[in-house]
Amino acid sequence: MFSTFLNMKPRKKSKVIGLNERNIKLIYPNNAKKHYPLADDKVLTKEILHQYNIPCAETYAVIEYNSDIKKAWQTCKKYNTMAIKPANGCGGGGIKIIKKNLNGDWTSSGKVITERQIFQHMAATIMGFFSLGSHDRVLIEQCIEPHPFFHEIYPQGVPDFRIITLDHKPLMGMLRMPTDRSDGKANLHQNGVGIGVDMGKGTLTQVFDGKNYFDYHPDSKFLVKDIPIPHWEEILEISVATAKAFPLNYLGIDIVIDKYKGPQIMEINVRPGLGIQLVNKQGLKEIINTSEDII
Amino acid sequence: MNSQTNLKIGLFFISAIAIISIGFKIKPVVQNYDSFSPEQVYKVNYNYFFKSGDKRTSVKTFIPSSNSRQRISRKKSKSDSTLSFTKEVSMHNGIKGIWKTDTTHTFHALNYEFVFEGKTKAYHIPKQFNQVSEQYKSYLLPSQNIQSEDKKIDDLAAQLRQNTGNDEQVLKNVFEYVSNIPSAPIITLTDALTTIEQNRASCNGKSRLFVALCRNLGYPSRVAGGIILENTNKRTSHVWAEVLINQRWIPFDALNNHYANIPANYLEIYKGDEFLITHTPGIQFDYTYQIDELSHISFLQLNSEEIRELSSVSLWRLVEGGILPKNALNLLLLLPIGGLLVAFLRNVVGLKTFGVFLPVLIAFSLLHTGFVSGILLFVSLILLVGLLSYPFDKIGLLYTPKLVISLTIMVGLMIMTTILGIHYDIAWLTTLTFFPTIILTIAAERFSRAIVEDGYKMAIDKLWQTLFVTGICYGVLSWSALPAILIIFPECILLIIAAAMLLGRYIGIRWVEFYRFRPILN
Repeated sequence: MFSTFLNMKPRKKSKVIGLNERNIKLIYPNNAKKHYPLADDKVLTKEILHQYNIPCAETYAVIEYNSDIKKAWQTCKKYNTMAIKPANGCGGGGIKIIKKNLNGDWTSSGKVITERQIFQHMAATIMGFFSLGSHDRVLIEQCIEPHPFFHEIYPQGVPDFRIITLDHKPLMGMLRMPTDRSDGKANLHQNGVGIGVDMGKGTLTQVFDGKNYFDYHPDSKFLVKDIPIPHWEEILEISVATAKAFPLNYLGIDIVIDKYKGPQIMEINVRPGLGIQLVNKQGLKEIINTSEDII
Repeated sequence: MNSQTNLKIGLFFISAIAIISIGFKIKPVVQNYDSFSPEQVYKVNYNYFFKSGDKRTSVKTFIPSSNSRQRISRKKSKSDSTLSFTKEVSMHNGIKGIWKTDTTHTFHALNYEFVFEGKTKAYHIPKQFNQVSEQYKSYLLPSQNIQSEDKKIDDLAAQLRQNTGNDEQVLKNVFEYVSNIPSAPIITLTDALTTIEQNRASCNGKSRLFVALCRNLGYPSRVAGGIILENTNKRTSHVWAEVLINQRWIPFDALNNHYANIPANYLEIYKGDEFLITHTPGIQFDYTYQIDELSHISFLQLNSEEIRELSSVSLWRLVEGGILPKNALNLLLLLPIGGLLVAFLRNVVGLKTFGVFLPVLIAFSLLHTGFVSGILLFVSLILLVGLLSYPFDKIGLLYTPKLVISLTIMVGLMIMTTILGIHYDIAWLTTLTFFPTIILTIAAERFSRAIVEDGYKMAIDKLWQTLFVTGICYGVLSWSALPAILIIFPECILLIIAAAMLLGRYIGIRWVEFYRFRPILN
């Protein structure tokens, strides 16, 4: 009686994976909880990436204690731009991109910011302001400059690729792009758009804004269908290399393409969202099944 | 595969044990099913002591009988053999028990015991009342203490009838007038006129005035007498009034503000402006009413011992022992059911809520506060605390201290609202303290964070879903027989574990995901 109940449901709606099935079939058996910090803590993630020589933004400094802020700053302030991030931040909170302007003053979001303000931000990060009260570390790293390819599609913000890997194999990918309504953010639920990726050909497919599909970016009207993605082979290579470097078998890997250095790993995610299926008009299970058949 | 098989075997055994154990009890439970469903059950003892006089001495008292909202059973009269016990039935007033003795100058103790099972009953009052038929005309006549044709009553009644459009409004005015007379514990007999003059009265004065006004206005009415049952020994009885509306006697208690309803613990004993006890004059007499609340299962026509003997697997001993307060026990037993419900709504339906078990706890609070006003209070608390703690979000405070600020704001709001409620006499505003403060604060905190992170649209949407889940939980938990079922069938807890295991392995698409993924599902 129970077995029919257990087996009946999943067969009916075959191809799409829902949250329940993602958790039970993909996350729990593939990602051990003890390894979650490797993905959740950006400093730990980058340590492993550096260890395996996988391209990612250069780390300028990691600050663990308030007393180290000034010392670290001495080594960092020679750079013209940098990103200051909480190691365990969630939802992009607490990330500050700072740049030197022509006068040599630091600016953040177009406004001049004093060194004192920068230090305060770092101190707040260490005290856990962006990571729900637990002690945290500050990560200062090189600021990515997006590849001109993205600017053609939409000129603002930082777009990134999300590649889903299962057992070190890339299953599905999408490109996330900001829109006029997303305030520079590329996340689907923050009004960004997702662009499907043909994994075999390395081309973009259709644009999905959460409701409708287009062949072009809804704001710039730039036609994306069948456009080849630059450095696609490299993107796949570093995705596989990253998937192999971590003891996590089901991953969402976020990748940006730097203007000068090519594809870089931004971060990895142990609970990647399921919206990617909508963007690609394809259920994850369909791909998992066909890739198993090939093996 | 191995763990799957183990899971199935585990599920099978747990369910089998529970179902077999339940099966043993089903038959006696069904056989003793009681459709009366009393809300409260008391054992009542009349204890009278007297010394007989020079000649034949008698003590008379009204004894209760069953009606549509009270059931009287296990009646027993105990006294020494020199007392004879007879019953006398009066058409209008009720049944009298009469104890007589021929001995003189001797002490006697008599006891009359019965079990009362009672229900609350509320009546609907129509706008216009039908004509009074001839047989009830006597209920319009004045009596010595109900001076319904006195000039003062006339004037007052005319004043209360002013600017009213229908009978119901007239009756409401009369009730409000009598209710608003300050109450005072006056034991001596107060008639209707004295009540107006003194402008203070206890139950007997108020009910006589109410009846006098009703009779004056042409509504047949009478005094009704009984005892308000509480788990204590007492000597005070109680009277209220009844008005005949469309051939039905409807109760009104202007002292305790029960308009057209009678609470479950009102023991009805007699009708009419009578004395509960009468005895031969000039004798020594004393009395007390011994009242004990009995634990009961509303749908079972069984007494405590019989329920205990039903099965060794039941929580009845816990109820009988009275170690746990009844409400606390109910809360404990209902928590898993509420939890399972939330698990179902989250994992199968796919609804999102602030806090996993928040809806269950709020639903419990709603049982005390009432659904509509409770939901209103809950939403305004969440919104207000979210709003008031927003500036503190902006300053950039650490999480825990910020939570303390929200908590303090929450407590402050609760106290202020309660004070306002008391000051302006708005009962539902004073019920705030039933809410689980800390969990509510965390929910408010999550709400304000959701606004910052996902935008106010998503946050409001999630709040709606939380309210929806709370409503469903309330619907299930407010079913009053549920705790009783769990007390008799505690095996249900095992079934809950089995059901939760099934839910925990459920990999189907959530109902809301059918909507979310609709472009690729078809």
